[in-house]
Amino acid sequence: MTYVIAQPCVDLKDKACVDECPVDCIYEGERMLYVHPDECVDCGACEPVCPVEAIFYEDDVPEEWSAYVQTNVDVFASVGSPGGASSMTDLLPDVLPQ
Amino acid sequence: MTAVDLPHPHLNLAGLASIPGADEPQNRKDYTSDQEVRWCPGCGDYAVLAAVQGFLPDLGLRRENIVFVSGIGCSSRFPYYLDTYGLHSIHGRAPAIATGLATAREDLSVWVVTGDGDALSIGGNHLIHALRRNVNMTILLFNNRIYGLTKGQYSPTSESGKVTKSTPLGSVDAPLNPVSLALGAEASFVARTIDSDRKHLTDVLSAAARHRGTSLVEIYQNCPIFNDGAFDAIKDPQSRDESVIRLAAGRPIRFGEGGGLGLVRDTATGTLEVADVADVGEEAVLVHDPNFADPSVAFALSRLTDLGHSGRTPIGIFRQVERPTYDDLAREQVTLARDAGAGDLQALIDGRDVWEVS
Repeated sequence: MTYVIAQPCVDLKDKACVDECPVDCIYEGERMLYVHPDECVDCGACEPVCPVEAIFYEDDVPEEWSAYVQTNVDVFASVGSPGGASSMTDLLPDVLPQ
Repeated sequence: MTAVDLPHPHLNLAGLASIPGADEPQNRKDYTSDQEVRWCPGCGDYAVLAAVQGFLPDLGLRRENIVFVSGIGCSSRFPYYLDTYGLHSIHGRAPAIATGLATAREDLSVWVVTGDGDALSIGGNHLIHALRRNVNMTILLFNNRIYGLTKGQYSPTSESGKVTKSTPLGSVDAPLNPVSLALGAEASFVARTIDSDRKHLTDVLSAAARHRGTSLVEIYQNCPIFNDGAFDAIKDPQSRDESVIRLAAGRPIRFGEGGGLGLVRDTATGTLEVADVADVGEEAVLVHDPNFADPSVAFALSRLTDLGHSGRTPIGIFRQVERPTYDDLAREQVTLARDAGAGDLQALIDGRDVWEVS
């Protein structure tokens, strides 16, 4: 289980969640932010600070944005588990649902 | 009174040698219970739980032979969330209960989960004696330098001058250093790690679990509600290279940008000091040897902390030495006594040491 970032983040990227995450597992893509499903520890710190309520516990993602669960997995296919977003220099290439 | 030479039956036995292995490969879900995890959002305890659930499958032990014993405090909710055996026990007394378990059941992997309040306030006595006895257990000491469960009073590891609900004008106490305390209590395995560094945490816990004897692991753990940012200097990507000293066995203790800083011995005072490697030369830098029998250098290392004058914190394994464990020796004595044949209870009651008061 993990937290998931969904559609309201697209083209917004407020990043309040990035400051809040204690394990540095929220990565920046070109158009939105992503929670690393293997590095997230389910602490829930990010969810209440998102100004547009884009972050959900995996089981609670609204039906209309359910595809974002897989999006938050697929986006890391090429980079694996970097072990901390601050070590990344490039933005992740987005794999947004159609 | 007389003394006898004790046998050393398991001196070279690995920490997990007497524990049955799992029948089939395990994964993280095998160690995740059905309980809803209840800590505050952002608590460092989540990170430690995730790391433990992630690495326990790698130990390859039967889940039925693992037990987590906790005391009282936020971190002591840990056993609920692991699908192993567990006890949420008495305040400060988890090491005592774990001692009994480890001694009676050598086929158990025994873990203690405790915090700076539970282990160092009410449980200080039990902690030092578990370490002294070298009972076969692994102690995870979550140190957030505050009382979290009771909502923000100063703890035995809170820095002097700290303003809390119970110290409105600043704490007048001197804080304990858990690593120094453990070394002073003759601990055979002492380490420190950080909640947010998953890889380091996993490596240290894995080594601790495999050590035969008492392993003490101090985990710097952020309390985002009552002591947020206590370890920011150690975690911040901008400052952590300068403020964290990573210990690795057999390697010179160097840190900072490009390893430009190193630890050197001050022969006049016996302490360790931070020096510029370019000034003192590579050969002057201390090479870390956690297996060295004498704990003096490990103790000198432990005196460097983020609260001290160096402003820097070593993390990793400070000390890892082999010595006989209490439970192995106790079981050996029981076996020897049994082998000696049936005892004579009346003779024991009558005693051999009789005296008369006149």
